[in-house]
Amino acid sequence: MKDISKTIKKVDSDDKSSGKSKYISDYKMENMLHAITVRSKHQKAKIIKRTYPVLKEGYYIIDHTDIPGVNFVKMIFDDMPVFAENEVNYYLEPIALVVGPDKEEVLEIVNSIEIAYEIQIPTYEYTNSVINYNFTKGNIEKAKKESESEIEYTYNTPYQEQLYIEPQGMIGYFENNQVTLVGSIQCPYYVKAAVVSILDSEEDYIRVKQATVGGAFGGKEEFPSLIACHLAIAVHKIKKSVKLIYEREEDMETTTKRHPATIKLKAYMKDNKILGISSNVGIDAGAYIGLSGVVLSRALIAATGVYTIDNLAVNGDVFITNTVPNGAFRGFGAPQMLFAIEMFIHHIAKDINVEPLTLRQSYLAKQNDSTSTTGTFRDPIIMPEMLEKALKESDFIRKEKEYKQENSLKGIGMSWFLHGCGFTGSGEATHINAVVKLEKDKNDLVTILIAAVDMGQGVKTTMRKIVSNILDIPIENVIYNHPDTNLVPDSGPTVASRTIMIVGGLVARAAKQLKENWIDRNYQIFTEKYKQPSYIKWDEDNFRGDAYPAYSWGINIVEVEIDKNTYEVTVKEGWSVYDVGKAIDEQIIIGQADGGQLQGIGYGYMEVMKAVDGKIQQKNVTDYIIPTSVDAPILHTYLIDNPYPLGPYGAKGAGELTLVGGAPAVALAIEHAIGKKVTKIPVTPEYIMELMSNE
Amino acid sequence: MVDYFIPTTLIDTLEFINNNEAKIISGATDLMVQRKKGAEITPYFTKKPVFVFNIKELNFIKESYEHIHIGACTPVSDLLNHKGTPSLLRKSIEVMASPALRNLATLPGNIINASPAGDTLPILYILDASVKIETLNSNRIVKVKDVITGPRRTILNSNEMITEVIVPKEEFTKSDFVKVGGRKADAISKISFTYAVKIKENKIIDLRLAFGAVGPVIIRKEELEEKYTNIELSKFKELKQEIINDYRQYITPINDQRSNKEYRKKVALNLLGDFIDTL
Ligand SMILES: Cc1cc2nc3c(=O)[nH]c(=O)nc-3n(C[C@H](O)[C@H](O)[C@H](O)COP(=O)(O)OP(=O)(O)OC[C@H]3O[C@@H](n4cnc5c(N)ncnc54)[C@H](O)[C@@H]3O)c2cc1C
Repeated sequence: MKDISKTIKKVDSDDKSSGKSKYISDYKMENMLHAITVRSKHQKAKIIKRTYPVLKEGYYIIDHTDIPGVNFVKMIFDDMPVFAENEVNYYLEPIALVVGPDKEEVLEIVNSIEIAYEIQIPTYEYTNSVINYNFTKGNIEKAKKESESEIEYTYNTPYQEQLYIEPQGMIGYFENNQVTLVGSIQCPYYVKAAVVSILDSEEDYIRVKQATVGGAFGGKEEFPSLIACHLAIAVHKIKKSVKLIYEREEDMETTTKRHPATIKLKAYMKDNKILGISSNVGIDAGAYIGLSGVVLSRALIAATGVYTIDNLAVNGDVFITNTVPNGAFRGFGAPQMLFAIEMFIHHIAKDINVEPLTLRQSYLAKQNDSTSTTGTFRDPIIMPEMLEKALKESDFIRKEKEYKQENSLKGIGMSWFLHGCGFTGSGEATHINAVVKLEKDKNDLVTILIAAVDMGQGVKTTMRKIVSNILDIPIENVIYNHPDTNLVPDSGPTVASRTIMIVGGLVARAAKQLKENWIDRNYQIFTEKYKQPSYIKWDEDNFRGDAYPAYSWGINIVEVEIDKNTYEVTVKEGWSVYDVGKAIDEQIIIGQADGGQLQGIGYGYMEVMKAVDGKIQQKNVTDYIIPTSVDAPILHTYLIDNPYPLGPYGAKGAGELTLVGGAPAVALAIEHAIGKKVTKIPVTPEYIMELMSNE
Repeated sequence: MVDYFIPTTLIDTLEFINNNEAKIISGATDLMVQRKKGAEITPYFTKKPVFVFNIKELNFIKESYEHIHIGACTPVSDLLNHKGTPSLLRKSIEVMASPALRNLATLPGNIINASPAGDTLPILYILDASVKIETLNSNRIVKVKDVITGPRRTILNSNEMITEVIVPKEEFTKSDFVKVGGRKADAISKISFTYAVKIKENKIIDLRLAFGAVGPVIIRKEELEEKYTNIELSKFKELKQEIINDYRQYITPINDQRSNKEYRKKVALNLLGDFIDTL
């Protein structure tokens, strides 16, 4: 038996590196029209009057009056209009779409449209809560009463921009009596559902196809549904092909980002023991709710990170502000919470004069411990073994002591983290219900029929590897094309670190079926549907039970040095140990680890994005600074197998895990270097200067 | 349709800019960003673009006994490969943008773009570099510091072109360039600081300092440099606080999307202080 983890060449690397892969802006169709979005000039206003210019033949203005269905982007809450009707709630909110053959003329029309507004006062404060979730574990009142002291800190986390290399874009056309959309998307069926709803059409009137995706990171989870609706309305009306590609600045100013958050944590202490913790979380949704409720719940469930705390009170709000709506981003609420809890455990340790490592170890969750939502960590937790490896490889304990004594500006920091794999709660069973198919043709070529999108994370390679390994056939005999909703069943969105564990698990089961029933040179097809393991119980209303079927675990250690004159941070080296169950391909996991950790570290010390008066200030790649290869430290990654019985070959989620520990690790390293408590990210040179001059 | 011109000789270029309302485009690394209207749309130009990258006679690096002459259309990456490039100039180019950009960007582009964050500018200021400015019938040589009059403002007339950058060759006892950007590569300076000093028998005999991105133009104060020249090194170090105080009033940075003025000011003065301490 071959070891599945052994690296093979990624199946799409030649096409991508040679330039053969076709991204959405490479598509050109006959008589193709171009579209540009008309946007609000105000943060909050009533629309009083629109004055559209007289249009030449072949030019169109599409707006809310063209919508056959109800004017909402179909998501969890019906609150975000596809086109603003009577009011706008954020700067640059879409109002209409101008479509025509000459893009320059389209732009001129956009600029000539006059909209009269009655300006209203926008809100940017966390005052307007639209969702509140809260839950408890154990007996927090008792903990409060028995405690002798309280330790409280407030942590703040900023926007983070996905900054995928390829901006948002889509092409729509009319073919075989279908409105067809091809785009840079993560979730073909989300797009389809949104378009069916906005056109109020039959399911089979809509076809959604994926183009090669140039990066996504969550930014192409729900946002593309908005563009798809704009285009679909145009295509439905005009019946011609229309291309809508966002400019980089348009993308950065108007698309979803990671939710800024404020997290207040209070620990009830007695005899240097944490009796209980109460957490108060506020996240900024921007102008519309979108997925914010789900983001909040992932944050709340991560309230205690990797620690077992017996008594908890967790409270969280989604606040609406007149800013660009926020949404999905790798980690989905967890990075904010894990930053807070990792800093908090450290700050508690300092305040009570205990070695942080000792305090961490005494609360580290063990198998069969109760989770934050009073569920159970059912599977083995191998963090102690991972810790041993991390400490040894990085020489953490010696460096930690030495750097402190040297009074140098060197620092080392460590974070511990976990990530729930798959949808929160019983989402997989109640909302998604994944279906996968495996089809064998008469030449014994096997096609994987799933809606999962390869956005660089490698599922085209790993899925084929799973199938070819199980069937013991060459990987070239396994086909996996870009999903097309006319051809593939709904295996769910490509999100939530679910693709390998859930979808791959189903694909593996279908492959086993095929293997057992294999008939040479015969057409065969096998379907598998998701079944929730019966022991998983989740009470959605009370946040009680098993929030996730499984957890992946990780440790990051980061070493930094700070320049005494400029306060610039050099990230010198990083060590990580992960438990992702079993790597389907080692190099792909290392790719996820390097990229994810760098994205997490960037979030922690470098990436600055701010809205001033509701307008994003850093709107191009020159001003929104993310780490380059020159900034990237040497990253050492170690994987320790801990197979999960229901994952294919024991695999669990890996895509998000690698990001969530980066920010606290680098922030703690900086805290160690300067000897000042860090309570917000990014820990920029400007912030370090502030901390260091508060002597 | 935009009318444009791609000359291959200098004389054709000078004639064209003399007879037309024209805009010189060299590496285009500033202009195409500033004038872009969107993918698949022609950038915005009110004057006729003249693409000068094909003028071979302006792509050179020549050395005389006292100067290095850099043709206007020489990409800055060529200066990295050239042995005789002054070390300070090399340092500033090494941290400018990214390799792909450096293969296009030119020194005249950096000068005429006249951004206070232009990385070669503080160096060209303290090396007393000049440019040769030509028209169809005349030419003049002007110091770089006199070419730039304000942010994005220069003395150049529309019938004029920079044809050459002339940098004096000089040996310094110690010199350095520190760029503070948001990251280690491909970042616009938040602050930059450069110095070049000649020391003889423990005496400072030549002192030059400049700051970038902390005022509307590059800050070089020759009167202050003179004030602290011809003094003993140890005395110079003792005067640290006075020197810092003298410069403080000229450091007038702004808040923007890249940093804030408190940071820029403090770091600029820290770098000055560190220079004095470690001299
Ligand atoms: C991603 C990116 C990163 C960057 N990073 C940096 C950085 O780190 N540091 C930095 O300093 N700059 C940086 N820049 C800016 C730019 O690359 C430099 O300013 C460069 O030197 C401009 O040279 P160019 O030849 O491309 O100028 P162009 O864009 O061609 O021209 C700029 C201006 O100079 C004029 N001009 C050009 N040549 C002549 C001439 N011979 N005679 C008269 N006028 C002329 C043009 O008319 C125009 O007004 C960056 C730019 C980008 C896009």
